[in-house]
Amino acid sequence: MFRGALTLGGVMRGSLGLLVSLLFILPLYWALVASLGDPTAPPPASVQWWQPDPHWDNYDQVFKIVPMARYMRNSLIVVAWAVPITVITASMAGFAIFLLRPAARDRMVTFSLVILLIPGAAVWLFRFQLLSWFHLLDTLPWALIFPAFAGTSPLFVLLFYWNFRRVPEDTFEAARLDGASLWTIWLRLALPLSRPTMIGVVVLAFVFYWSDFINPVLYLFNPQLYTLPIGLQLLNQFGSSNWPVLMAGSVLIALPVIILFVFLQRFFLNDLSLAELFDRAE
Amino acid sequence: MQLLPRLSSQTKYKTQLYLFLAPFVVGSLIFVILPALATAVISFAEYNTLGAPKWVGFSNFGRLLESTYVRIAMWNTLIFIGAAIPARLLAALLLAMLLQQRGRLYGLYRAAVYLPTVIPEVAYSLIWLWIFNPVTGPLNLGLAALGFNPPNWLAEPVTARLAIVLLLTFQIGEGFIVLLAGLQNIPRSYYESARVDGATTWQVFWRITFPLILPWLLLLTFRDLIMSLQNSFTPSFVLTYGGPFYATVFAPLLIYEIAFDFFDFGLAAALLVMIYLVMSIFVLSILNIVQRRGAADV
Repeated sequence: MFRGALTLGGVMRGSLGLLVSLLFILPLYWALVASLGDPTAPPPASVQWWQPDPHWDNYDQVFKIVPMARYMRNSLIVVAWAVPITVITASMAGFAIFLLRPAARDRMVTFSLVILLIPGAAVWLFRFQLLSWFHLLDTLPWALIFPAFAGTSPLFVLLFYWNFRRVPEDTFEAARLDGASLWTIWLRLALPLSRPTMIGVVVLAFVFYWSDFINPVLYLFNPQLYTLPIGLQLLNQFGSSNWPVLMAGSVLIALPVIILFVFLQRFFLNDLSLAELFDRAE
Repeated sequence: MQLLPRLSSQTKYKTQLYLFLAPFVVGSLIFVILPALATAVISFAEYNTLGAPKWVGFSNFGRLLESTYVRIAMWNTLIFIGAAIPARLLAALLLAMLLQQRGRLYGLYRAAVYLPTVIPEVAYSLIWLWIFNPVTGPLNLGLAALGFNPPNWLAEPVTARLAIVLLLTFQIGEGFIVLLAGLQNIPRSYYESARVDGATTWQVFWRITFPLILPWLLLLTFRDLIMSLQNSFTPSFVLTYGGPFYATVFAPLLIYEIAFDFFDFGLAAALLVMIYLVMSIFVLSILNIVQRRGAADV
């Protein structure tokens, strides 16, 4: 619509859009500027928009005040296990749902939606009990990655299912009649055909486990096993009101997610590909 | 003769299908459905995870109704839901309508709006903790420079709640995407014929966009209602830890405190059951109103 049309309305809409997107980036930009401030100087008396004399050593301080390197290693271990397991279990389930007969398929979609309706807080208590029964409390990565074995979120399973619905129906049927096992079809045909969905799920799963604050708070007690979000909260408690270092810590933990998002956002934001996906999902 | 091998390959195929589904189905049953059901059962017991549960009937629910602290937290939660859900939905809808245009720039704008949603919660909460700082925070520095007399955000009950709602209004990526999809599904021809008929922008919104986007808005309302049992946890944990004067003790923080500070799982479970009941009534009455209004329109 209105592509390239330089109307007054178009210009106004465009500038409003620019303003709004700047507003959404502003807190992050402020944090970046503050993370380079001089921690020994008195706090600035006006809003700082850039840092004439950047203090990069604030980022070193983050690793000295709390054992951030260890927390980072723990977080990387968690992500390295959880993301691949999530992609495998979610894509297998999504593929199988696609191959089911219509009635069974509808039941599985309903099942997934019901699970989406159960909030995290409702399962905190008994998960604690379950983990303690299996002696998995306070273990890394098991206490944090167990949702990955169920695909992390039914949404990921549904994303894969919707993805396969866009594939011509007889693609898999032909391979099956050739005598290929389901395993082979999934690995050789289904997964390569779902690359954009896979990338989307990788990003979302990475964000989920990298950012996870609640599960380590509930299920980890040994400080050696803490992950980055807990480390940041400790930094907040130990280095309270040392804002440049605290902002450096925040930028540090947000940075991998931002980089991943910037590189991959075209897969789920440009050309409204997600909108298309919802369209087909009807 | 021909039938036998085909049959066996058919059963083998079915077994393989079930094996593919097994991790998701079994995992969800164990990690989600079973815990949710167990919570309902435990709500009738005194239970601290160590000994066996001691059945106490409805006494947990009685304790909930008597507790002033629980009453304060529930009141806070209602205020929070009443402010956060409309604010988040309205922001998502306005942004989706503004940024639904095609084009490279609009793609960037959409990405910018989505970005805060993927920032790790603790980091984002810490950033806002600094932004709201009365002395060094850029928000109050900026407001002072503009000639305002800014409040000490996190030290006053009303502004502290407002601060958490504001933070969460920046993390609306999911609703934004869903509404973008909803808007894309409205046939262009509706707008064109409305324009031919000389309808104003306002009329177009209320007669075309709003009714057609309403199902999506309802979906997001329900989802936000469910998410409100969780999404305020990290902000209220990091920004205020429930203060000042317990003004930001919302349902998730309360459940956490009862269960994991006092290890009173029975009471926490009863609280969850109670919240669920209230929410169901809420959802059912909204659906009821919508259905009746829908019928009246037809």
